[in-house]
Formats: sequence, C-alpha cells, structure tokens
Amino acid sequence: MIRTENLTKVYNGKTAVDGLDLEVGEGEVFGFLGPNGAGKSTTILMLTGMIESTGGRCLVDGIEVAKDPLKVKEIIGYLPEDVGFYGNMTGEQNLDYFARFYGMDARKRKERIADLLDLVHLGGVTQKAGEYSRGMKQRLGLAQALINDPKVLFLDEPTANLDPEGVREYRDLVNRLAGEGKTVFVSSHILSEVRAVCQTVGLLAKGKLVAQGTLDEVARTLAPSDGDAVRIVVETREHLPAIEDPEILAVERNGNRAVFRAKTDIRDRLAASFFEQGVHVREMRVEEPDIEDVFMAIYRR
Amino acid sequence: MALDRLLNVARKEFSDHITSRRFIIILALFLVISAVSIHEGIGLYNNRLEAYNEQLQHMPEAEIEGPYPGWMPEKPSIMLVFLFMMSYMATLGSILALAIGFDLVSKEKESRSLKTLLSHPVYRDEIINGKVLGGVGALGFAMALALAVSLAMLLVFSVVPTLDEFAAILIFGAVSLGFLLAYFAIALTMSTVAKESGNALIYTLVIFFAVTTLLPVLGMMAADALAGDPPELPETAVPMPTPAQSSGGGYDTAVSVDDPRETDPAWREYEEARKAYVEKRRLISDVSSIFSPQMNYMMVSMAVMSPETSAMYTSYGAVQAEEPADLADALGRVWMNIAALIVFPAAFFAATYVKFMRMDIR
Repeated sequence: MIRTENLTKVYNGKTAVDGLDLEVGEGEVFGFLGPNGAGKSTTILMLTGMIESTGGRCLVDGIEVAKDPLKVKEIIGYLPEDVGFYGNMTGEQNLDYFARFYGMDARKRKERIADLLDLVHLGGVTQKAGEYSRGMKQRLGLAQALINDPKVLFLDEPTANLDPEGVREYRDLVNRLAGEGKTVFVSSHILSEVRAVCQTVGLLAKGKLVAQGTLDEVARTLAPSDGDAVRIVVETREHLPAIEDPEILAVERNGNRAVFRAKTDIRDRLAASFFEQGVHVREMRVEEPDIEDVFMAIYRR
Repeated sequence: MALDRLLNVARKEFSDHITSRRFIIILALFLVISAVSIHEGIGLYNNRLEAYNEQLQHMPEAEIEGPYPGWMPEKPSIMLVFLFMMSYMATLGSILALAIGFDLVSKEKESRSLKTLLSHPVYRDEIINGKVLGGVGALGFAMALALAVSLAMLLVFSVVPTLDEFAAILIFGAVSLGFLLAYFAIALTMSTVAKESGNALIYTLVIFFAVTTLLPVLGMMAADALAGDPPELPETAVPMPTPAQSSGGGYDTAVSVDDPRETDPAWREYEEARKAYVEKRRLISDVSSIFSPQMNYMMVSMAVMSPETSAMYTSYGAVQAEEPADLADALGRVWMNIAALIVFPAAFFAATYVKFMRMDIR
C-alpha cells in the first residue's frame, strides 16, 4: 500500500531523508520510529504529497505521489504533528471547510461530521477552535484526518497532546481502523506508543532506515552481536554447582546466579543436571536483547 | 485548477473578512466618513450650483461688458461631491486594505492551519488565488457599500445624477477598488514573506509610508536636483495676463490678442525654455509618482471627477478652448497612471504567488 524507493530529501544541503526504501502492506498498522530530527515528519510530508522529494519516489496505493498528489490526498488522511485549525471557526465549521474539498454534498458532509465529532468526543462542542485545549485540537485533528474515510491514515506523533484517557481512546480507534482494513502509518519517537498499536515497525536514524519488521525482529537485528551463542540466565536456591557440557562456551558466575554462553539452547540438559545434583532452580531463561535498550542505543547514535 | 476548490477557499476567506471584528470596525468608520465626506461634497456642489445660476442670470451683462466676451459659465458636475471622498479613501481605504491583508498567510503559518489545509486535496495556487479572490470580494463589498451610501445620500439631498454621471461614479468606484487592491497586494505579499504577523505588519507599514510619503518627496527632490534652475524671465518682461477663474472652479483660458509673448522673440525663447524645464520636472516627478498608488489614484480619480481640472494638471500651458475635456480624453491623458494602478497590484500578487508556491511548510 505504501512504498518508497530510494526516497531522498535534501534541505539547504543537509540530507533529511537519505535513500529510504520502505514497504508497508495493505491493512498493516506500521510504526515509524526514530529520534527527533531523524526525518520521520519529512518522510510523511513526501508521502502525503505536501513536499516534493529531492530524489527517488514514493507510491501510495500504486499512485506515484509526486505525479498525482491530489489523487493521493483523496485517499489518505493525515494528522500533522501540532495540528492547527482556524481559530475563528468551530470544530464543525473547520471540518465542513475541509470536507468541501472532497466534493461531498451538504447532507453527506453533515452526517459525516456529526459522526466524527461524536467519535472524538467533540459532539455538541460549540466553542471556537481557537479556544480548544491542545488535547481537543488533537482529537479534532483525528476527525479531520478521517473526514474522507481514507484508505491510508498517516499519524504524526498522534498521542503528543493527549491525556491518558485520550491515549486509550486513540489506541481503540487505531485498532478499530485496522479492523476495517485500513492501513495506518504511525510516526512516533515513543516506543511504548508504537508497541501498543503497531504490528510492524521501521526504525529511522539520521534519515536512513536502520531496520524494518516486527518489533522483536527489529530488536534482534539491532541487538549487540554475540556470535551465534545463546545466553542462558540461571538462578538457583543453593550455590551453583560446576556443570560440564561440551556445548558450554563460557560461564559468568555471580553467587547463586550465572549466565551460560552455549553453542545451542541447552536449558533441558542444564535442568536435568541441576535436578540430579539436588539443586533447586529459581529461574532459567534465554536472555533476549532488551528492546528499550536496543532502541535507546540507536537513538543515542 | 478546479473552480469549486478555488471558490471554496474564496468563500471561506470572504466570510472570514466580513465577519471579522477588525474589518467591521474599519468598514463602519469608512462608511461614516464616506457619508460625512459626501455631505461636505453635496454642500460644495450646491454652492457651485448656486453660483452658476447667479452667473447665468447675469449672462447678458457679461457678454457685452465683461473682460472676456463669449465666456460661458460652466455647470458644476455631480462628481464634485466625490472630491472629499477621494481623499478619505486614499487614507482610510488603504488602512482597510492593509488590515485585511497583512496576516492572511502569516496567521495560517502561525496557527499551523495551512499545513492541515494542504493535507486535503487542494493545490497551493488554488489557496493563494482563493485568498486573493476573497480579499478582492471583501474590498469590493466595502466599496459597493460606500458607493451605495453615497448614492443614497445624493438622492436624499435631491441630487439626481445623469446616466453619464452615474457611469462616472461607477468608474470612480472601480478606480477606488483598484487603488485598494494595490495596498491589499502589498499586505498580502508581506504576509507571505514574513514568518509572523507582527513582522508582516511592520513590513507592510514601512512600504506603505515609503510609497505614500517618501516616494513623492524623493520625486520632488530628484526633480529639483536634476532639472536645474528655472529659466530667468527676459529683461523685457511685462506682467503676464492672468486667466480669470470661473465660478465653476475651472479657468477661462482665453487671453488678450496683444499678448507680448507672441511678438517679443525674447519672450518666445523664454517660453520655450520654460516649457522644456516644466516638462523635464514633470517627467522626473511622474516617474517617481508612478510607483505611488496614492498619486496614481489621485490622478485617475481627478480625471474621472473633473476632466477639466485633470486636463490642466496633465497639460503644459493652457487648454485650448475649442477642445472641451471629456471623460474619455481625461482618462486617455492619465493612461500611465491607470496602467500603474493595474501593474502595481499585479506585480505584488505575482510576487506573493511565487513565494507562496515555494514556501516551506514544515
């Protein structure tokens, strides 16, 4: 549904997005992760046809964005970071103004706007958008992004101004949209947000795509390399006895705890050996790379 | 460019303008001052009309005994009524135009509504053209209201324009709208160039004072500096025959037959030199004033309201009595000012368009 090929954007000699190759399937909820300034928003602006790329191309639903930005805008919804509205108009009037660009008749506009305002809990709010709180603006932003019932939804830092209740409602909404088969592209620097709603992620750093896949796949790809060794963490009630096994490469001991570096996953053999020696095992697990640590390491690069 | 999208933007902009407190306050002031100026104009017109009627009553005596036999008093035009309105329009009208334009784009940048708008299926040129159209509509609305108030007051005071005068009033309205557009265009350009509305207002005011005050003064200074000293009167100088001012406000241009300027070669030489000097000065002054919408507006409006007076401003020496100045002639004489009134806003609108199309919306 979304594809970029060597997508590049250079601002005043500085490369914001550098040869990005990305693919997001139909109906996928994709998390676009990366630290501030990584090029996430610039990528979204190119994908939504709001700025032109310096090189490469991007396609949404098979339409090349640079060649037909208006056609792309007709099938997408976009919630910008720090979304803004016309402060002299009510939420309903703002939505009506935007809805007119899709050629909806008055009755359809009225129905759609009423539904969307109810959806984001702004139904019956008569105050002008200029008097809205940031959270209310963010919710109205979601409504305007959905005004044309889009196939693809781009959300840039969608939970930035929401309170916990708003965040929960946003997550429910994204899950509902995913259930309707819509493709959702969520850009965020907050891992927990992406983790809560996205099936797949792409990690961007300094304009380049560092990894793409499920969160576990990305974490494994980016984890510090330990060769092909498996790290097994063991904690026992008694003092750890000496274990002889040809698969073990090294053991790091610390009182009743130890980390075994082995050629393969030998947990079954370790368990049997401890049982035979009458040692009670409190914990035994294969150590997975910590996803937060992996991402923080990328963010700090 | 799709017309429905353009009109959607224009409709919203027009609605924003006419419902904004700023526009309503300035428009109300504008209409009140227009009404007051029309009232003053009607007073002037009635005085002139009274004088004209008196002169007509004394015509038989003047034809026989007066210094200028054959002279006919000129009936005052209803367009005199708009003379005061023109000067108010030049100040308050330009403030109205600046007020509706200076934050049209910068406010959208500040509120980030432009980014939201651009995420919907609308081209940038449709947005900026819609903004221009909405602004022109609002100014046209203000101008139409002012003219309607003026016409209503004329009728209330039993001054009924002829068809020609009505056409001239409409032309005056169109010229005034063109003048307002010049300042609207400046404000819109500054709004597009500046990142914040505060800066846009400052830039707009700087240009406003430059073209209204500084430019004419610089033009006069340049004329003084470049044209040199005026030619000196010949030693055989005799007092110049003075044209008699008519009660209608114009000048009777007939001169006596034994004019020394036609017989004395020194006088003829002086006349030639003086004509060249005045034309040189006027050329320099005209070049600078062509960049001033105020000056262009005054010149064109004067041609519409009083073709005779305009002819005197735009012609060197006396206007030939056998060539009565009509509206078409008068407008023809100020074609450069008319062109400038069109080119000036067009140039600023073009600059706005280019800047807006290339604007960084991050």
